[in-house]
Amino acid sequence: MTRAVLGRLAGAVLTLWFAVTVTFAIVALVPADPARAVVGPHATAEDLARVRAHHCLDRGLAARYGCFVGRLARGDLGTSLRTQRPVADVLLDRVGPTALLAGAALLLQLAIGVPLGVWAARRRGRWPDAATGAATLALHATPAFVLATVGLYVVAYRWGWFPLGGYGAGGWDRVRHLALPAMTLAAGGIAAYAHLVRHQVGGALDSDHVRTARAKGAPERAVVWRHALRPALGPVIALVGLDAGVLLGGAVVVESAFAWPGLGRELVLAAHDLDLPVILGGTLVATTATVVASLLADSAHALLDPRARRP
Amino acid sequence: MRSILFALASLVVAAGCGDDDRGPRYRAWGHATPRPGGTLTFAVGGNVATLDPAHAYDEASLYPLYYLHDTLLGYDGTTLVPALAETWSISPDGLTISFELRDGVVFHDGTPLTAAAFDHAWRRVLRAPDSPFGRFLAPLVGAEAFAAGERDDLPGVRVDGPRRLVLTLAAPDAAFANVLAMKFTAPLVDGAAVTNGTGPFALDAWSAGERVTLRRHPRYWRPGRPHLDAIVMRESVPRELAFLQFERGELDTIDQLTLPDWLWIAAHDGWRPYVHQTPQMSVFGDRFDVTRPPFDDVRVRRALNHAVDKARLVRLLGDRGVPAHGLLPPGLAGRDDELAPYAYDPARARALLAEAGHADGLELEYVLPKDETAERLAQSMQADLAAVGVRVRLRVLSWAAFLDETTRAGGAPFSQTSWFQDYPDASSFLDTRLHSRMIAPDGEPSNNDSFYANPEVDRLLDEARRTRDPSARAAAYRQVERIVHADAPWLFGYHPVGVEVVQPYVRGFALHPVWGRDFRDVWLDLAPDGARVPR
Repeated sequence: MTRAVLGRLAGAVLTLWFAVTVTFAIVALVPADPARAVVGPHATAEDLARVRAHHCLDRGLAARYGCFVGRLARGDLGTSLRTQRPVADVLLDRVGPTALLAGAALLLQLAIGVPLGVWAARRRGRWPDAATGAATLALHATPAFVLATVGLYVVAYRWGWFPLGGYGAGGWDRVRHLALPAMTLAAGGIAAYAHLVRHQVGGALDSDHVRTARAKGAPERAVVWRHALRPALGPVIALVGLDAGVLLGGAVVVESAFAWPGLGRELVLAAHDLDLPVILGGTLVATTATVVASLLADSAHALLDPRARRP
Repeated sequence: MRSILFALASLVVAAGCGDDDRGPRYRAWGHATPRPGGTLTFAVGGNVATLDPAHAYDEASLYPLYYLHDTLLGYDGTTLVPALAETWSISPDGLTISFELRDGVVFHDGTPLTAAAFDHAWRRVLRAPDSPFGRFLAPLVGAEAFAAGERDDLPGVRVDGPRRLVLTLAAPDAAFANVLAMKFTAPLVDGAAVTNGTGPFALDAWSAGERVTLRRHPRYWRPGRPHLDAIVMRESVPRELAFLQFERGELDTIDQLTLPDWLWIAAHDGWRPYVHQTPQMSVFGDRFDVTRPPFDDVRVRRALNHAVDKARLVRLLGDRGVPAHGLLPPGLAGRDDELAPYAYDPARARALLAEAGHADGLELEYVLPKDETAERLAQSMQADLAAVGVRVRLRVLSWAAFLDETTRAGGAPFSQTSWFQDYPDASSFLDTRLHSRMIAPDGEPSNNDSFYANPEVDRLLDEARRTRDPSARAAAYRQVERIVHADAPWLFGYHPVGVEVVQPYVRGFALHPVWGRDFRDVWLDLAPDGARVPR
């Protein structure tokens, strides 16, 4: 058991290292000068030379890699090139809004997607099933930026049901501001969960153990929610684990569209300015979140399903 | 499936229709004199990188600084006037500038303003390795040695008692006084926050990436100012979203409208009285590397200038621009207003190309940044040039890669370019972009990215820089304008016209020729209870 856990942790560290290195390589390959982001387009050659020396941008690729990643390994995320603020502070400010948005989206996905899937499974082969299937497919296929635009223009602007973007002042105002971006971010996931649960539960409803439960006279509600849904939860939890990455990716688009001050939007801005310390720090946070979510999902799966505990 | 799509489509269409009248939703109450109080809210597309005057250079970061900090000098139109200085004088040799500070000026934290606060702020800028502004102070005696750490005194800045500041320049520089209106020269209190300034508004809160809130400085030195209680600046709001917020009344004022939004506003009579326009102190166009063929032949450069229909470029901006004959924008001293932009004349362009040996046409590559407007204009130019036998391939780069590719010797020889004033002086355009001194050695990035080196232009620019008599300076710059127009190191494009639309109750607003949107004298014409009045 200990060995398995250590193995997983080593794998996680390796994943983080890989993500940071690939990100570093991509940024290094961009034929542009990050020093420009510090002093702007009006800077003279002397300004740029001074800034490059100050941020170890004037050395070879290997030395720059050592400079940035070495500091990262010591737990120092460095200083943002553009804002001169510690990267840890920048990211700490941004993690909260993104966690709120992604958490709300995940809740919506489960709260709507799972019951919808069960509902469709119980009507499998009939028109509500086909309609749900088509609707979720269409939802899944619609890019987040289209949903964001339509949501903002129609739902928020024309109908005035929600605020036009922004983070809100806190409390109820925050919830009002959160609703539309969270629904936009959740839309694709709702479809995915509904689809998955529909097929898992649909299959289970035809299986022997469900027939046995019915034959024993269990009420239909118990048959569906206990005997058919429970075995379907394994894949659902696995999907939750994978979802962290998907939600963070979607947050990049949704946060930018709704002026939501989160990690995704910060990374877009940092990428635009080639702010390497922020890009690497943000990648590290996003990768860590994904790895941790995946580890948690595996543990939860193991708790729920004894079969998963076997090595 | 089809029926679902149809239902969705009808929903969207139904939602989009029904706009019978979309003029302003509110009106002014009608107060005769400025009504104090209220909060003005506006949005910017970028996010505030820093509120440190030593580092802020981008638009979003400079907006709050404009209200937090006052400087020695300011502008009335494009003319320098005293601000924190009560009076100022320049010695006959042009080497010494003396300032008497205004009495009764206090920082937001209550500290009285002294001359030492300037000395402190400037030493700070000179020693900050990441600051792009230190070089602007280089004309001061000893500034460069101080910045390099070679000496610890700064003889060019002398604090003579609490209210007298004397600056000494190493050589006469007629443009230097403009630097003293740039925000990085604002006085700072040693040991206090860098946002603690002497400006009309103090920092209330900055939620980074979300909003900056400023509140009125109760002891501001200008009597009766500011009128507003607070200013809220929302950060990182996409332009399309900002327009929806403005139309619904969440924002009190808006600029940088997208073309569709601008056309929509311009088509509504109800908005017309609330649209403000003024030419900006900037220039857009395309630069040639004049050292590389085919652009080393002035006939080719002139031909391309004749081939492009600049009136159409301006129409594609929704008429928010003025065709350019050179680099200097309208209203700037030294601009030769008698020069006209190159005439749109495809026949002449063909003849010039044939003369230069390109009767069979040319193949060129044109580099531009990823930007909706730049791409739209580039396509128009591409079509114009194709009509005279010049086939252009467009290459779009990210902004960072674009800057790198287009400013180094040996990089792309033909690309989009633009320049925004550091201060409203001809030298800020002509010296920076066309003086041979601004060509960096060893393939380093150059601000003179045309690599244009004309000894006569250099001489005139240096002379103008030393000359104190404004009319003699202007004459020298006009001469440069004529040479540059003929030499055509750029395909001269246009000067953008800034457009600001305000809600009807926003009064006292004017677009400033130097600063653009300026809310210092703004007041809100609301009902006596502070509510907005529906139309």
